[in-house]
Amino acid sequence: MRIACPFCGERELGEFTYLGDAAPKRPLAFAADGAEQPDAQDLFFDYVYLRDNIAGDMNERWYHGGGCRSWLTVTRNTTTHEIKAVRAAPGAGAQKPAKAGAIS
Amino acid sequence: MAEYSWEARSPLRKAFAPGRIGLASGDAGIAMAEISDFSLVQVMARRGQVANVAKAAKKAWGALPPERPAAVVGKGATLIWTGPDQFFVLSAGSVPDPVPPLAAIFGGTASLSDQSGGRCLIQLSGTRARDALAKVSSIDLHDAVFPIGAAAATSIDHTGVNLWRGPDAANGSSVYSLLVFTSFADSLWHTLADAAAEYGVEATRTPLS
Repeated sequence: MRIACPFCGERELGEFTYLGDAAPKRPLAFAADGAEQPDAQDLFFDYVYLRDNIAGDMNERWYHGGGCRSWLTVTRNTTTHEIKAVRAAPGAGAQKPAKAGAIS
Repeated sequence: MAEYSWEARSPLRKAFAPGRIGLASGDAGIAMAEISDFSLVQVMARRGQVANVAKAAKKAWGALPPERPAAVVGKGATLIWTGPDQFFVLSAGSVPDPVPPLAAIFGGTASLSDQSGGRCLIQLSGTRARDALAKVSSIDLHDAVFPIGAAAATSIDHTGVNLWRGPDAANGSSVYSLLVFTSFADSLWHTLADAAAEYGVEATRTPLS
């Protein structure tokens, strides 16, 4: 398996580290007025532990630690390992301001 | 507080031995050199400051920092791409603290970090340099893909390196430079020397000019 880093070009798998599903978004622990969200415990349990077991296309986070040290969002088919898209994860580089939790 | 006196030492003091490695007859196909006496600073553009960093670099060295994997030779420094919106400034001569002059150049537009003592600079040249490097690198080093001025942040022997191709040597052979973390330098030197041994290696030590 080779991944085409949007910054470096195509590289071997050994240069990358897998983080996992790119979908989970960190829930808010507190409301705008500072009060704790009533369901924060459940939301965080879901965010930290629960994952979908997708058979098909999945957005994943990969880290190019053996190269440019950028976080990437990779669309990979989990049954065929076909990689359909690779783009920089939000916040990679200084060009664009990061938007926390967004999937680009 | 105790007074310390720091003595600069080569990160290759275990692996390096000057002279011939491997094939002993005929001309050495590869010249392997430890390049010493350099200043190396990591420059990382701050959020939204990429254009200002480029402008400051252009003013200081007459060269724009590379926006893609490349090494740009400017006046008094080489700018080497290390990642999106970040690059190394490599210049000749070892100074106690190379950061203040760069801080004056970039103002508050970039974060700077001195890497002079943290990396070892190894240079491979000679007629068979590419053949030896191709054995240990997974990237395509063909002239059409990796011409003069090309650079890559990649891994060799599981070790992160910054690799770039400088101007050809006087005899026309390619010149590849590698920056590696000092603690991995001995190991990488051994790997490169093993890969190059069949072509004959001449090992030297030279200050950056």
